[in-house]
Amino acid sequence: MKRALLQQPTLASKVASKVASKVASKVASKVASKVTSKVTRTGIQVLAVAGIMGSTVGVTPALAADCPAVTGADNAGISVGQFPNQYERAEFEAAAGCTLAFTANPDIEALNAQIQGNGPLPDLADRLPSEPLVIVPYESIGKYGGTFDALSNATEAGTSDFLSIRHVNLVRYSDDLQTIVPNVAKGWEWNDDFTELTFFLRAGHKWSDGAPFTAEDVKFWYDNLALDSKVIEKPKDYVLVAGEPMTVDVIDPQTVRFNLPAPKPGLVAHFATSFAQGFQPKHFLGQFHPDINPDADKLAADAGFENGLAVIKAYFGNSDWTDTPSPLLNSPDKVDNLPAAVVPTLESHIYVSDTTEGRHLVANPYFFMVDTQGNQLPYISEQDEVYINDAQVRLLKLVNGEVDYKAQSLQLSDVPILLENQEKSDYTIHIRPKIAMHVFSFNVTSDDLEKRKVFGDLRFRKAMSVAINRDDLNEAAYFGQGVPSQYIGFSPAPDFVDPKWKTYATEYDPDAANAALDEIGMADVDGDGFRELPNGDKLVLNMQFATQGIAGQVVELVGQYWSEVGIQTTVKEVTPDEYRSAQSSNQLDVGMWEKSQPLGIVLGNNELWVPPFENYFAHRVGMLWAEYVESNGASGVEPPAYVDQLIADINAFQSSPAGTPDSDALGANLVKNMTENLLFIGTALTPDPIYHRNALKNFVEFKTASYEYYRTYPYLGPQWYFDE
Amino acid sequence: MGRFIQFALVRAVMSLFTLLTVSLIVFSLMELVPGNCAERYLAFKNTQGSQITIADIEAEERRLGLDRPFMVRWATWVGNVFVHQDFGDSCILRLDINQLLSDKFWISLGICLAALFVSYLIAIPVGIYSATTKSAVTNNSLRFISYLGLALPNFLLALIIMLFSTVMFGDSLTGLFSKEYRDAAWSLDKFLDFLSRAWLPIFILGWSATAFALQTVRALMLDEVGKLYVTAASARGISGRRLLWGYPARHAMGPVINSLGFDLNRIFNELPVVALILTLTEAGALLIESLARSNDQQLAGAIIFLLTASIVIVNFVTDMMLALMDPRIRKGLIGS
Repeated sequence: MKRALLQQPTLASKVASKVASKVASKVASKVASKVTSKVTRTGIQVLAVAGIMGSTVGVTPALAADCPAVTGADNAGISVGQFPNQYERAEFEAAAGCTLAFTANPDIEALNAQIQGNGPLPDLADRLPSEPLVIVPYESIGKYGGTFDALSNATEAGTSDFLSIRHVNLVRYSDDLQTIVPNVAKGWEWNDDFTELTFFLRAGHKWSDGAPFTAEDVKFWYDNLALDSKVIEKPKDYVLVAGEPMTVDVIDPQTVRFNLPAPKPGLVAHFATSFAQGFQPKHFLGQFHPDINPDADKLAADAGFENGLAVIKAYFGNSDWTDTPSPLLNSPDKVDNLPAAVVPTLESHIYVSDTTEGRHLVANPYFFMVDTQGNQLPYISEQDEVYINDAQVRLLKLVNGEVDYKAQSLQLSDVPILLENQEKSDYTIHIRPKIAMHVFSFNVTSDDLEKRKVFGDLRFRKAMSVAINRDDLNEAAYFGQGVPSQYIGFSPAPDFVDPKWKTYATEYDPDAANAALDEIGMADVDGDGFRELPNGDKLVLNMQFATQGIAGQVVELVGQYWSEVGIQTTVKEVTPDEYRSAQSSNQLDVGMWEKSQPLGIVLGNNELWVPPFENYFAHRVGMLWAEYVESNGASGVEPPAYVDQLIADINAFQSSPAGTPDSDALGANLVKNMTENLLFIGTALTPDPIYHRNALKNFVEFKTASYEYYRTYPYLGPQWYFDE
Repeated sequence: MGRFIQFALVRAVMSLFTLLTVSLIVFSLMELVPGNCAERYLAFKNTQGSQITIADIEAEERRLGLDRPFMVRWATWVGNVFVHQDFGDSCILRLDINQLLSDKFWISLGICLAALFVSYLIAIPVGIYSATTKSAVTNNSLRFISYLGLALPNFLLALIIMLFSTVMFGDSLTGLFSKEYRDAAWSLDKFLDFLSRAWLPIFILGWSATAFALQTVRALMLDEVGKLYVTAASARGISGRRLLWGYPARHAMGPVINSLGFDLNRIFNELPVVALILTLTEAGALLIESLARSNDQQLAGAIIFLLTASIVIVNFVTDMMLALMDPRIRKGLIGS
């Protein structure tokens, strides 16, 4: 993944010189030479060149022709750009030898009229940036119109699937899930030691109300929202580096720099995967922020709000979540006094209604993307979201074809009924691998010292792993769709992972399990057919699970496999809250929850490798080790040496550029220590269904069914269209 | 008259006391469940990909005021409800509860009252007929249908109808409004659209309510028809409908009117499950959400408070009705 980002010097200078020569033939040789020298000096970043080239080469060639309909299916003889599925305008026009003529959705005036607070529209040329992002549609140039129907669970639950379709951020992961590509930013650049990250924005880029989007909006988001305790009480982890805040410098309206207190190469990956957008409209929210506008409180009072911060709360929800209630829902009686019903956005669609039943959106008339023939995206005019919280009703609506796309909340067990009705209701189900798999763990710091001794014994954990008949489990619980695997932390496995770990101790070997348990001294003393603890105490593994984290069938089968080697188990379903509360108070014998993270997340977040090995809502083990680490040894239980090694390795891993031999060695060591110690016992990597109606075109099959790359964001929702 | 006012006042004070007690019970029960609203809210957010720490939960608790002792929270809430008629904010939805419930509670109450009305509209004549008919076939089939109504769970009936409609008409019959009216302001068209959807929950809730009411009316009638005053009236030559409606039915109606508040409560109790299945976005569904999923004490408290208030009002009205209808009570209270 990081390879795209961290071009080797040879490649960088090659591209740079190519670009430089093109640029030189036009204008701005000063800029070009500056950029070239910078790129050559740092030897890292080529993206910025493409961007700056865009700003200097937006000039009509003498023999302009209509641009060819370049698509993913037919490249019309045009060479692929620097990044897959997209070009910068100048890059495209140079490659295709044409000038883009821009066209807008014919209904855009009517759509704009629905956006409360938007005035009449200027010409399209004045709405698009002078350097729009040119998207290569997957199959064909689309048609304008239609309403996209989506399901969520509630205003702020189960929405990320739908949010991701219109989402934009500074950068994006391409559909290969390895290459980070420009999005709102046209390029970025790191300094040598990864402590300065500069983003280059698009000249002429506008918010959905027509106001210019500039570097000030990035700084405003960081200084006045993310770090302002009056807005967000405690800064989120992702805006900090090693717990310390960064600073943001506005270099010029199109250039903004993050200064990091410590190296964090994963910061770019954060912007590519996170729901948190690194910008908010200063011209709009700033007028209500007392630090920006001295009259903010008065302005707010005129609109009927307590103070300026209350208005910001109404618009921004005091978090980077983009699904918090808008003033349409949270202040219906005051919304008419406000300058706009919802905060201006850079996304492809904007809210025009927001109730407890659902939300409705229309296309953003100022959206910054065009297709290869100059048609402004998005193609789809409107989006409609309805809240359905019941799984069966959700399924019914999908089977009826009432929804255009859905992946979140669908499970493997839904697949048979979904497949059965594919033709009747004219939709398609893709079955794609998930990131996380169902994983078991033993409480290695159990309060019961005898249990702690046994669970802490690697021979015991290995016996429990080989006692699981994963092929049988796969057939019975996963419809044969899974791949029996061990838990290695990363998913999908990066190249640096030694393949042997993926299947380490996954062979079904009840004899070996029995032998190991005998060796530990767990004999059946009382003759009830089950083994006791070495000290003779009875052992019954209490397997409490919540269906939110793992399927009941899997738990029951695994409990049965363990019983077969003489470990008595009881299975009980509890609510997620009960599970979490038992986990927090160190009451669980067996942890059971989904687990794994992709490399892109691990680069920015070390929680998977530091006791308790994940956050409050996920699968934790070694609670007393965690206490020891957090208290610097003052309380808790001292973890074994391999845990210290994991902590050291992950911190080094995050500070070294990914893809380098150093980083790969650290990654390989992380996987080795995590896997061979079997703190977590894997089952099988399984897939989940992804639903889309066949009328939805330019829909590419996703690489994974997962949240981690922000759902549909890598797959270019703005270029989806309907062909009914 | 003075005694009537005293009677009404005592009833009103008892109603207030009931309201207070109910809200305290709701708050206390919800306090026992692991995981408060801050945690539930962030749990939703966690599924949205947000990394959340214990510190985040604590910050959220402070923001929501959940760090205060729960008696303080309850007392503040009750105080605001009685003094300012302000239910506060829903912690999970982050919305003003008064605004949130303004339409929804009336919709729920409307559906329940409609179901109640329909059930007695059917149950009273049919119950009386069933109690007095001599035809065993009619009687038994009426009883069979009404037992079916009692035995068949509402949610199952709802699912059967939805499945049937999905297969036959390709419409799952869910929701309260069509898409085009969902966000519109109330108008005659929106009301008609609402009725075109609301008949289903009214029918489903009315179905079991009818069955129950039918059994009640039938049993009361059977009690009454054998009594001496009926025989006496009959001996005076009164017969047919005049006899039935004028004598035993009149007496049988007393307990029926008395139990209207109870019936309303029973129907409302069934509403959340039906509402969830039919994805009705009204107070019943919100109640389940706030109780089971989000532990939103203020929202659940508000809905139950409003429901209790409705029942109390219905009881108050039926008490008054009975007092006025029954000459014995009327005379006792007002004097002739």
